[in-house]
Amino acid sequence: MNKDNIFYDPTLKKRHFKSKLFKYFTIASLVVSLLFLGVFLLDMVIKGSSAIKQTYIQIEVSYNQESIDSYRNAVDKRYLNLLSRAALREIPDQIQANPSLMDTKAVIWMLADDQVDMYAKEYYYKISEKDLETLKELEQNARVKQKFNTIFFTQGDSKTPEYSGILSAFIGTIMTLTVTMVVAFPIGVATAVYLEEFSKQNWWSEFLEININNLAAIPSILFGLLGLAVYINLLGLPRSSALVGGLTLALMTLPIIVVSSRAALRSVPASIRQAGYALGLTKVQVVKDHVLPLAFPGIMTGNIIGLAHAMGETAPLIIVGMIAFIPDSPTSVMEAATVMPAQLFTWAGMPERAYIERTAAGILVLLSVLISLNSLAVYLRKKFEVKW
Amino acid sequence: MAKNKVKIAVKDLNLWYGDKHALHGLDIELYKNKITALIGPSGCGKSTFLRCLNRMNDLISSTRIEGEVIIDGQNIYAKEVDEVSVRKRIGMVFQQPNPFPKSIYENVAYAPLKHGIVKKGSDCDELVEQSLKSAGIWNEVKDILKEPGTGLSGGQQQRLCIARTIAVKPDVILMDEPTSALDPISTEKIEALMLELKKEYTIITVTHNMQQAARIADMTAFFHLGDLIEYDETEKIFINPTQKKTEDYITGRFG
Amino acid sequence: MATFESKHKYAHLQEDIIRYFLILAATISILTTFGILFSILFEAIEFFKLKSIIYFFTGTEWTPGVENSQFGALPIFAGTFMITAIAIAVALPIGLGSAIYMSEYASPNARNILKPLLEVLAGIPTVVYGFFAAITVAPFIVKIFAAIGVEASFNSALASGVVMGIMIIPYISSLSDDVITAVPDSLRKGSLALGMTKAETIKDIVIPSALPGIISATLLGISKALGETMIVVMAAGLRPNLSWNILEDMTTVTVRIVDALTGDQAFNSPATLSAFALGLALFIVTLVLNIVSVRLIQKFKEKYKMSSL
Repeated sequence: MNKDNIFYDPTLKKRHFKSKLFKYFTIASLVVSLLFLGVFLLDMVIKGSSAIKQTYIQIEVSYNQESIDSYRNAVDKRYLNLLSRAALREIPDQIQANPSLMDTKAVIWMLADDQVDMYAKEYYYKISEKDLETLKELEQNARVKQKFNTIFFTQGDSKTPEYSGILSAFIGTIMTLTVTMVVAFPIGVATAVYLEEFSKQNWWSEFLEININNLAAIPSILFGLLGLAVYINLLGLPRSSALVGGLTLALMTLPIIVVSSRAALRSVPASIRQAGYALGLTKVQVVKDHVLPLAFPGIMTGNIIGLAHAMGETAPLIIVGMIAFIPDSPTSVMEAATVMPAQLFTWAGMPERAYIERTAAGILVLLSVLISLNSLAVYLRKKFEVKW
Repeated sequence: MAKNKVKIAVKDLNLWYGDKHALHGLDIELYKNKITALIGPSGCGKSTFLRCLNRMNDLISSTRIEGEVIIDGQNIYAKEVDEVSVRKRIGMVFQQPNPFPKSIYENVAYAPLKHGIVKKGSDCDELVEQSLKSAGIWNEVKDILKEPGTGLSGGQQQRLCIARTIAVKPDVILMDEPTSALDPISTEKIEALMLELKKEYTIITVTHNMQQAARIADMTAFFHLGDLIEYDETEKIFINPTQKKTEDYITGRFG
Repeated sequence: MATFESKHKYAHLQEDIIRYFLILAATISILTTFGILFSILFEAIEFFKLKSIIYFFTGTEWTPGVENSQFGALPIFAGTFMITAIAIAVALPIGLGSAIYMSEYASPNARNILKPLLEVLAGIPTVVYGFFAAITVAPFIVKIFAAIGVEASFNSALASGVVMGIMIIPYISSLSDDVITAVPDSLRKGSLALGMTKAETIKDIVIPSALPGIISATLLGISKALGETMIVVMAAGLRPNLSWNILEDMTTVTVRIVDALTGDQAFNSPATLSAFALGLALFIVTLVLNIVSVRLIQKFKEKYKMSSL
């Protein structure tokens, strides 16, 4: 800077420098936050993408009485350790279900063991030297290939990683969230309507407000303690069931629904209500026929956000036992069930490497669902947004 | 007007907000140790013009300014001039009193300490006292210097803001409708203060109150739709304006 | 006329029924809070009938499984505190810095994109963070410190603390951004007109003005960190460990709650009931933090509404 002008100030150079540093600090913070997000998503994609495919081995299977007696007899002993035990175990059932198979042989692509899958995907694997030799031989004969992993989407949990999928957890999630919404939606909206349209400003409404605020800030795990103590121990509802899980989540979701529904109701201008009263309508009629329909998109948006929130919740569900091993999808809300995040938690704790890619893949599925739900909420808000 | 010493000379000043041409080639000379009042209907550009004098318009990213504002021989829009140092020498008082949420003492001491005008200690105490005295508020606040500035009444807050501005030892004080948010008694105090301050400083004030301009201003400039219509001694403007528009405005035919 | 009256009565009845239904619904929210409080409180009292409450808060031995079990929760509280402190040390500067950039430097358009993007961090399920902490961050920390010859645990407090910090960033940045934006522009102008630089204005005027809101956001972040379960269950240790070394494994209140309730012990054994004693401590602390936080925000709002700057 030119020092000749009367506005020259010697302190300014340093101060401008500091000012710039400060700005860079704020930019850096933001970049770091977004970088975390990027690294994290990338990490999940890298870890999870290999689960899209699953390794299969071409093998000759003999369907006969010996195979029924023990699946170990169905294939050449040499290949036994390379094949998925879960797939082999199904052979007797297949014969029983389809007697025409009896005493035939067939060359099929059979699901490989998880260690073979790890080997094929070039992860760390544990295969005995003898088996490895056999495997390499199979590979040379093009009898090892990777196919799209349908099992992951069509099976429930399994003790053999290659045979495990998220279907039962997905069904469990749907059932649990259905319970949640059936309970939380009417209560939440009704609470919002009461607070916004009916209650007078007094200690009671203030008390309610403080309560709802605090409810939103209570750590989720404590809702689990409530569920355990009240639903399971006091009311005797079945542990691990979608009913108990759903009821527990309902109480957690309640404040989110109340707060967003109130905001939606508040955005309906007073003139609408006054017009209704002027026509001689009662308060209930005005609210039911005029205010609620206008606030509905906003209420729905809040509900979807609450739903997404509940979908990602794990801690309280662990407490009420929803981390049970569930190979088959539950058929009623009273049966033991698990939900997607709880399933991911279980898998993440497994020692087999193959569960890691499945956990990451499950995370990608869960995140996609959550992002879709949130996008839907944003879309609804944009579409029905009314400028008064 | 040879007896008047030019403090600020504005040459062909144009300003655009985005596509909107808000000031149209203004030429004006503002005099040292005088109070100049800028009047005109709202939206006429008087406040915009005022903010050009300490480069506050630079803060709005869509603004574009052409022309020169020469203060003591230096064009403040020249490349080598730092707008921050311009604002240090050209103080500003706003329409709404805006004391910082700090103590009364800190409100005044903040900028001088940052600028390195004084160091913490007795020098600083003295400057604070002096500034508060100059702003005519010392007697009211000398016992409550540690209390927050926001606790004062509106008129006191405004005088605190004036003290804060004086503490930086500016040459010029710009005032943007400094009394429009105040009650009549506070207004009177501020006006008296302005008359006192002009002995040391050059004051440019925007006002929507024509009586105020008539009461305190030496010079008055009438703006209309981004043009400087007329600029002369206050008496002349109010008694015998040369322009029809000025007369219409003064006599209340529009506004 | 008669029909008119009866209709009128009917309408009133209907009105009343709906009104009572609404009140009932609103009451459920209260019942939930008290439900949580009492369900935890009663079981915690059961626990303290069996084990000393004084030792619970001051003792350092936590040995639930063994005979003559000891329940000194001090190392558990210490671990919780350490991990929370790490989380805040990560989240506060980054969250506040991001908030300042969004509210003071970014254009409104950029802000409209950046803010929701940051909030994505808050929408990610915590089990996912836990996985990230356990599988990616913890081994990475072990590797980094091994490179400089320091041994770190695979369940280090640092790993779960850092990941928890990432999770809390949006809680701090979003609320801070709101309060910083709410600071009246006249204050900024007042400072700039005195010849202050932008950073000086932000640091000396804007941030102090927004301080109650920023503190409130931080308290909320602390409360989130204290109650966070999945990250620590998956990435932190189970061993109650009273240590200052953040590279060691530590355990937290929530980890021990989960551990106590997923075991096979009888429900009324002290080992299981200890979960409720820990839960009660967690409930009280987070409740107090939340109440203080809400008060601060209210004060901030009142201040800038009243002075109508």
